[in-house]
Amino acid sequence: MQRYETEVIVIGGGATGTGILRDLSIRGIDATLIEKNDIASGTTGRNHGLLHSGARYAVYDLESAQECIKENKILKKIARHCIEDTGGLFVTLYHDNPKYHDLLLERCKLAGIKASEISPMQAMAIEPNLSSHTLKAVKVPDAVIDPFRLTSSNMIDAVERGAKIFTYTAVNKIITSGNDSVGIECINKKNEKIEIYANIIINAAGIWGQHICEIAGIELKMMPSKGSMLIIDYRTNNIVINRCRPPADGDIVVPGDTVSIIGTTSKEIDYDKIDNCNVDDDEIDTLLKNGEDLLPNIRRTRGLRAYCGIRPLMAVSGKVKGRKISRGIVLIDHKERDGMEGLITIAGGKLMTYRLMAEKTCDLICKKLNRKLKCTTHKLPLPGSEKKIPAKQTIKHFSGIPASTVGSTFYRHGQRVHNILTKDKKNYRLICECELVTEGEIEYAIKNLNVKNITDLRRRTRIGMGPCQGELCAYRAAGLFNEYNSTSPEESLKLLKDFLEERWNGIKPVFWGDGLREIELSYWIYQGLFGLGDFGDSDTEEN
Amino acid sequence: MYDCLIIGGGLAGLTCGIKCAKEGLRTAIISGGINSLHFSSGSIDLMGYSADKNIIHNPFKHIKSIKRKNPQHPYAKIPVKTIEESITFLTDELKSEKLLFYNNSGKNHFRITAIGATKPTYLSQESVFNEQLDLALKNNTRISILNFEGFRDYYQEFAFSNLKKNSLFNKLNISSGSIKLSFLPDTKKHLLESNSIDIARLFETEKYLPRISEEIKKAAGDSTIITLPAFIGLNNYNKIHKRLLELTGLQIYEIPTLPPSILGMRIDNALKSRFSSLGGEFIAGDKAAGGEIYNHRVTHIYTENYTEATHHAKYYVLSTGSFLSGGLQSGFNKMYEPVFNLQFNWSRKRNKWYSDNFFSAESHPFLSFGVNTNAALHPYDKDGNVIDNLYCIGAVLSDYDPVREASGGGVAVSTACYAAQKIINGIKG
Repeated sequence: MQRYETEVIVIGGGATGTGILRDLSIRGIDATLIEKNDIASGTTGRNHGLLHSGARYAVYDLESAQECIKENKILKKIARHCIEDTGGLFVTLYHDNPKYHDLLLERCKLAGIKASEISPMQAMAIEPNLSSHTLKAVKVPDAVIDPFRLTSSNMIDAVERGAKIFTYTAVNKIITSGNDSVGIECINKKNEKIEIYANIIINAAGIWGQHICEIAGIELKMMPSKGSMLIIDYRTNNIVINRCRPPADGDIVVPGDTVSIIGTTSKEIDYDKIDNCNVDDDEIDTLLKNGEDLLPNIRRTRGLRAYCGIRPLMAVSGKVKGRKISRGIVLIDHKERDGMEGLITIAGGKLMTYRLMAEKTCDLICKKLNRKLKCTTHKLPLPGSEKKIPAKQTIKHFSGIPASTVGSTFYRHGQRVHNILTKDKKNYRLICECELVTEGEIEYAIKNLNVKNITDLRRRTRIGMGPCQGELCAYRAAGLFNEYNSTSPEESLKLLKDFLEERWNGIKPVFWGDGLREIELSYWIYQGLFGLGDFGDSDTEEN
Repeated sequence: MYDCLIIGGGLAGLTCGIKCAKEGLRTAIISGGINSLHFSSGSIDLMGYSADKNIIHNPFKHIKSIKRKNPQHPYAKIPVKTIEESITFLTDELKSEKLLFYNNSGKNHFRITAIGATKPTYLSQESVFNEQLDLALKNNTRISILNFEGFRDYYQEFAFSNLKKNSLFNKLNISSGSIKLSFLPDTKKHLLESNSIDIARLFETEKYLPRISEEIKKAAGDSTIITLPAFIGLNNYNKIHKRLLELTGLQIYEIPTLPPSILGMRIDNALKSRFSSLGGEFIAGDKAAGGEIYNHRVTHIYTENYTEATHHAKYYVLSTGSFLSGGLQSGFNKMYEPVFNLQFNWSRKRNKWYSDNFFSAESHPFLSFGVNTNAALHPYDKDGNVIDNLYCIGAVLSDYDPVREASGGGVAVSTACYAAQKIINGIKG
């Protein structure tokens, strides 16, 4: 058994957890993070990646709206390389109630969100794919954020400042002494037990926070709400398109990287289903139908995959459900609530406010530890976003390497591009042609970004996220795991198989048309040609 | 007016075309693009796995049992003798194009995959499997699994580690290694960014062969047999392979890897060349857009490029392949056959098109979807009438799963020959 000591344990490797870890390490407090899967593999990585302006919340939840616009402005400065400042539109279609448009403008003003009305013609000029049934349009400072890069950058910064991270390590037990929680017992993928002792334990496990409280003997009720999204294989829109109506299924299309994402449905689910939820066929129907209302060519566009996330909503009071529950931040000191010293739960909130949630949590930690340390995360840029450097300048710096390759690496990693690319051909050759991921980027991720498998690698680099969903690059990536991580050939092939199964899970809901053709080829290559299914844990074993 | 107009120029269409042209029929093939031989192993599977997932050693024996168990299967519609003859026919036609195939006297042999699995198959190119390799397996021979250093579409360690554990190889002394091609001039496309075709071209450059051979010998050490990813030339493969064996003194075998498939392209080239030399007309780069059916017969078809011009023939063959090749189409909650809107076997619910796991032992239902035909391979129009002068062959057919059964090549070739014979009989009376 391994045994460690630290000042603060953070449970949960989402945006909030890694945000807390970073904030603590900047303040100089020793901290260790435990995550049962990979970072950003839960709700953090399972949303549409909208950098809210707050306009969506302005009508019903002014407090959230105000938080959003404040954080929006901060993140645009500290997380430049994770954000694309696309701008956003709220669009009223001819059968929508136009009163909502006026209400939105009024409430945005109240929340301090810069919202301006533009004519339908101006809206069409900004976004040519927009429905011709557009009646009214409002421009808002929405943008797009990549939650994987954001979480990874927080992790990098924390680790470089001395924090520790254990991924694929699950908390088994909260170790107590009298009424106080003093540590945790965890178990990793190799079935090794790890004990970590600390002064304070932070439960930042999102929807899984209910379970963490449970093993601490505390009752905390979450209200899991499933949201499904559909990725289409083209960037049909270059600006965030919101439907100007009360929040409902399929009211947003968010562009991101090379794709666009139609969001979102809302279905309440039982807590015991949170680890096994799938996108339902009727959700796909709803998303396509509503997405098509906003951008008519969506249905002619290939569906790439669909996925769902669980909103970690907390029932603070009353009977409100689903979308109506406030997205406000809930910070619980279990000493005060349940008489257990040393345990704090941070829940509610949203990706947008992860930094603020971290700030509030760390302020409480400092208070409890009696350390007078101030938060600086609103001023200190994340690694990669240190300076505002135009892509052009970086491309020039790496002359000799194709501009598209440098551009993509810079887009994903900001200034860290200088830790990734070299003018060695093996470094900048492409492994994933769809998303322009180089061998150098993969090597960097495997060696520096806490990558344990090809799915983690995808979250750090976008490998296998393009149109072919890993048809050729997955095999190459498995080869590189063997090369750079000395993963055994057997284990590398197992990673390959797991990765293809993970991809398949997201493809099934949109399995028709060109997506089906692509899968026929992938299946032919990996099963027909290679016989990958003949190996390993599957029931097809024959050799 | 053609005697026979074939829509789709893959393995099935080309085989059918060759057989018809050889009998003097005026034959044309319309081909929309590259065919799936370019993604194939380059071996011809006949019947590799039974329904209960056991490896089949004697495919013909198993095919006989299919007739009882699954009467809708394409093999169930064709006499076993015709299937046997069609394989012989293909082997002979390819031989006349100097592409030599090995078959294990009526039984399956296996091919080695890029990750070291062994798959049952019926015909393999001599550079993939032959008697000498079969013999070597029974002795304590040294074999080395080699790759070209820096090539990104093949990892010899995967094949090496799995073959080491394979009981078929337990008598062999297996090692692995890589071949350095650092002598290549800078003007050449760099090996790090090359695909299989780029490397096949290197082999086809005669002046490089002695240097390549030297490097291969260095990497092989004291092994007498080596395997390479399948790139030993494309057009001149026979000559190059022979020369390589002379220069190195080694037995050299090829293992297919990620597409494009050099082994499959050799078959494609050979069949096209054969078809042309027999007087067939190959119309490349055009697709059949639709056809007219009148009185249970196709009267003409028209193509995407020339919608006003029509093609007329006495007999038509549909060999447009599966979804990947565009012979079958799927959309949101719908599936159809795009040229004639033929009757089609599929499930209405889209969540019944696939299995839950990608590597499910049951494969995926959509792979068995396709055009429904009668016992003579005639399809039905949307009203259920048999179309008398139209035959469907190859992957466009329903009720067989080329991956799960390892049967794709055999179904293509045998349905092609069966339809061709019927057309020949029809024309010649």
